[in-house]
Amino acid sequence: MDIHLYLMCYRTEALVASQLEAEEFGQYMAVGTRKKTFGNVVFFEIDPKFRSPDLHLDEVEAKCKARPDGTPRRSKYMSLYRVMERIPLSAYGKLHLTTRDGRVLSLDGREFEEEPTSKGPFMYAELCPLTSRVVSHLSPKAFTQRITDSATTVYVPRIFFAETLVELDSEGRLASYLPYANPGHIEDCLREVEEHPNKLSKTVDRNPPLQAFYRTIASGFYLGDSTGIKFYRYPDVATLDADHHKWWRSASMG
Amino acid sequence: MSYAHLLYLAASSFSQSSLFAVADGIDSSIRPLPWWWHVTWVCAIIALVSAASFYRWIMNQSEGNERMQEIARYVRDGAYAYLHRQYRVVTIFFIVISVLLAIMAFGLQVQHRLVPFAFLTGGFFSGLAGFFGMKTATSASARTAQGASYSLDQGLKLAFRAGAVMGLTVVGLAMLDISLWFLYLYKFHHVLFGGEPMSLETITVVMLCFGMGASSQALFARVGGGIYTKAADVGADLVGKVEAGIPEDDPRNPATIADNVGDNVGDVAGMGADLYESYAGSILATMALGVAAVSFGGVPEGFESAFSAQLAFLSGPMVLAALGILLSLAGIFLVTTKEGATMKDLMWSLNKGIWGSSALVVAVAIVIMPMLLPASVAWGVVSAITIGLLVGLVIGYGTEFYTSAEFKPTKGIADQAVSGTGPLIIDGIAAGLMSTWIPITAVCVGMMVSFAMCRGFENLAMGLYGVGMASVGMLSTLGITLATDAYGPIADNAGGNAEMAGLAKEVRERTDALDSLGNTTAAVGKGFAIGSAALTSLALLAAYIEEVRVGIHREAAAVYQVEEGADYNVLDLGFGKYGLFFPGSDSSHLGNYTISAIRSTSDNSVEVMVNGEPVGMIINHIGASVKPSTADPAISELIATTPAGLFDFMEYYEVTLMNPKVLVGIFAGVLMVFVFGAMTMKAVGRAAMAMVMEVRRQFRELPGIMEGTTTPDYARCVAISTAGAQREMIRPSLLAVLAPVLVGLLLGVAGVMGLLVGGLCAGFAMAVFMANAGGAWDNAKKLIETGQHGGKGSDPHKSAVVGDTVGDPFKDTTGPSLNILIKLMNMVSIVFAGLVVKFAPEIAAFLGMGH
Repeated sequence: MDIHLYLMCYRTEALVASQLEAEEFGQYMAVGTRKKTFGNVVFFEIDPKFRSPDLHLDEVEAKCKARPDGTPRRSKYMSLYRVMERIPLSAYGKLHLTTRDGRVLSLDGREFEEEPTSKGPFMYAELCPLTSRVVSHLSPKAFTQRITDSATTVYVPRIFFAETLVELDSEGRLASYLPYANPGHIEDCLREVEEHPNKLSKTVDRNPPLQAFYRTIASGFYLGDSTGIKFYRYPDVATLDADHHKWWRSASMG
Repeated sequence: MSYAHLLYLAASSFSQSSLFAVADGIDSSIRPLPWWWHVTWVCAIIALVSAASFYRWIMNQSEGNERMQEIARYVRDGAYAYLHRQYRVVTIFFIVISVLLAIMAFGLQVQHRLVPFAFLTGGFFSGLAGFFGMKTATSASARTAQGASYSLDQGLKLAFRAGAVMGLTVVGLAMLDISLWFLYLYKFHHVLFGGEPMSLETITVVMLCFGMGASSQALFARVGGGIYTKAADVGADLVGKVEAGIPEDDPRNPATIADNVGDNVGDVAGMGADLYESYAGSILATMALGVAAVSFGGVPEGFESAFSAQLAFLSGPMVLAALGILLSLAGIFLVTTKEGATMKDLMWSLNKGIWGSSALVVAVAIVIMPMLLPASVAWGVVSAITIGLLVGLVIGYGTEFYTSAEFKPTKGIADQAVSGTGPLIIDGIAAGLMSTWIPITAVCVGMMVSFAMCRGFENLAMGLYGVGMASVGMLSTLGITLATDAYGPIADNAGGNAEMAGLAKEVRERTDALDSLGNTTAAVGKGFAIGSAALTSLALLAAYIEEVRVGIHREAAAVYQVEEGADYNVLDLGFGKYGLFFPGSDSSHLGNYTISAIRSTSDNSVEVMVNGEPVGMIINHIGASVKPSTADPAISELIATTPAGLFDFMEYYEVTLMNPKVLVGIFAGVLMVFVFGAMTMKAVGRAAMAMVMEVRRQFRELPGIMEGTTTPDYARCVAISTAGAQREMIRPSLLAVLAPVLVGLLLGVAGVMGLLVGGLCAGFAMAVFMANAGGAWDNAKKLIETGQHGGKGSDPHKSAVVGDTVGDPFKDTTGPSLNILIKLMNMVSIVFAGLVVKFAPEIAAFLGMGH
């Protein structure tokens, strides 16, 4: 049985080896073998050939073996804490989004160089290693470069985040379909960023509840650092409903 | 009692009336059937044949792919398992009650000997209607989903015609039951068992008793179905959605099939049995009032005899309801739609059918009523029928206003969700409370206007007949209105089937549209069912007094005696009641009794004295020979006058607010509503808990369920919900049956009248409140799910889910059960009137509470 490497990076950061395919792995992580709710799971598929002694991957074959009864090893945690930054961008494969009840949607990644079509402000849900929700003037590319810029005093080596929907109606109120808690505060933050052009970004919530998270994703997910950005485009709702109905129905629940 | 001095015997025109065919010069052995009777059975047969034809058409449609068939089979099997168990419990109940009724009829002689059989047929036909409705509904859901894959119109037609099978079966069986009982009692009973042909009064009161069978069946169907559906729903939601995070109608949820079964047992079988009872009850009560109207009000102009007048008034509700079946059928064919129809278009499709049928009923009433009734009454009755139809429509659209997400009240509840669960609950309760004004006002206005149009303020009995005809008018289009009600769960199940079978997006969109329409029609249907119960209530209250009157006759008949050679004799029955017996013209003694008591005036009566004291209540035997020209001077001086009417009985039994028995009865009626409501809601909680435990167990012990590799044990969830519902429905049902009997025995007729009035007023308001608050919370949640206030998964949505969970037993268990509680208490009171009349005075005397 093949060994797969998965990097979980949604609230929990861990490199896990498994003999399950990505879909099975997502389902397993979301619901377990007995029904227990673990919530949404987001994980990257890592190039199975990637090896790193720092991450104990030289031991992966020894540790990730089929179980005595012949069934595949579901999960073997290889490394925890600051894992994401230690895997080269080139080793990152697909991004898998798993719902609470174990439905998996897989997104392909690509190099990201585009300039924004929108002038903002944008709202980002930082997922790893930071976990804040912020509003910002900066486009995804600029935001990534800014927050991973080692020349500044406050930076992280690599960031994984999602651009989330922020649509205002004609009265300047957050569009009613958006499931964010405390929409009034988000409106205030947006206003503050707009009124103070020098303020590049503002934290909306340091540890936001990610309720109905998949319903809030705008352009998609970004993984990047000062060397480059990998972009995982998120399908529009019509495509999700038509082509990934079961996943979207489950994702819409929360 | 001062009243004793005011009651006098009147050998009245009533005593000469046609209680016996002989008296009208009609040879009883060949008493011809009136022409209109053929209309009733023909229309009933047309309804049943049409239902069968629709059923065949539905069964000839494709049930879709194997997966769709498999899902439909699970639901069908679950529904049959439920019905099988329910009918087993109900059969035991019916056997016990029938034995009790038989003891009362044959042993205690306090009711007619046919009552136990009437009770059984009412229950049997009601159960049969529910069975056929469910059979069709569970066969139609997959076919509707498959039909929706061709076009929206095909989906609508399939779901609606499946609903129409239910509607037509209910009205067809009810009308057939009424028609056959009339045939037997009118034409054959005396031939088979000897004696004189039965009077129309006796015929109507015996037939009225089959309403108790239908009510009992309806109560079990509604309460049991309501508990079942919510136990399954809560189990599916709490564990499936909230804990496991799986969407509704996901085949991995062990309770999802039970949930779909619940839609059928609650909203198809339950609603069908409920409205079967309302339909039959309103026709039968109005028939009884029609006959009584002639008895009390005298023979209207244009009739040769009281008998022909009674027959004409009796025919009104039967013929109208029978023709209403045909007009409903016409309306059913009007329901079509176009591809890409909006919600408004779909609603219009159904409204076309309902409004079309209603307009046709008015047109037919304009033609037929003057043929049956004298002109002085006919136009009043036509007005009452029109008012009844309008009341039904107003209640329906009032319900829609307060429960549909298109309107302000439900939008307001959704707005409150932003502030949290508390404000949402408060606003839902407020909206539900406020929503009662439309149906209550509509029923009150309808009652007063129909009463007035039939000159009720001059002739009480005729006014009551008018109110009865208004309720028959309201229910005359039941064939189509029930079709729109039953359509709801069918469309809902079709949506579930499409979802579980993974049908294409456009199919799901069509079934969603049909389902969404079904939610509105189901809420409207519940309002209609409650409204019809309220409008029928006045007729049933009057029918109760009619049964009390007959109960006293029977009490006298049980001690029937005539001294040889005497022209008449008076027998003290105790507690202010006296039997007055006359020999017939041939010196034989006929087996029918009636009561005549009037207020004395110096011109028209002579006080009857017994042992030198004036007597309180006289029960006289009116044989064919009783004429004003009797040899007895005391009787011969009496001038033809009105026999004891409703007010006389109210006065005799002291049904006045100053009588504490009445007030205590009213409190007892209000208490019944609250206690019954609490019991049914608690029952849902307990049954739901058993379901929650089972679903958790399956997730725990069958790990392959979530992976989709193991099929959940759907049957076990169905069995648990079924067992829970059957167990839990017993206590509230027994309460509903026993309370009127116990109150009657302890507080007498006055207490029963109070109980019925208290139950009616509190029950009507509470039922509307609960149904509408529940419907509004449900639709507020659905509104949020469309994307308002954050949509699914947001905090407002979580609040709305709580509101919906609270509202579920409101709208699907307790609310709909309350209107059956009202009717069942009425029916039980009617059936047990004889018992109360005979024994309540003795118990009261024993307890030192007068008599």
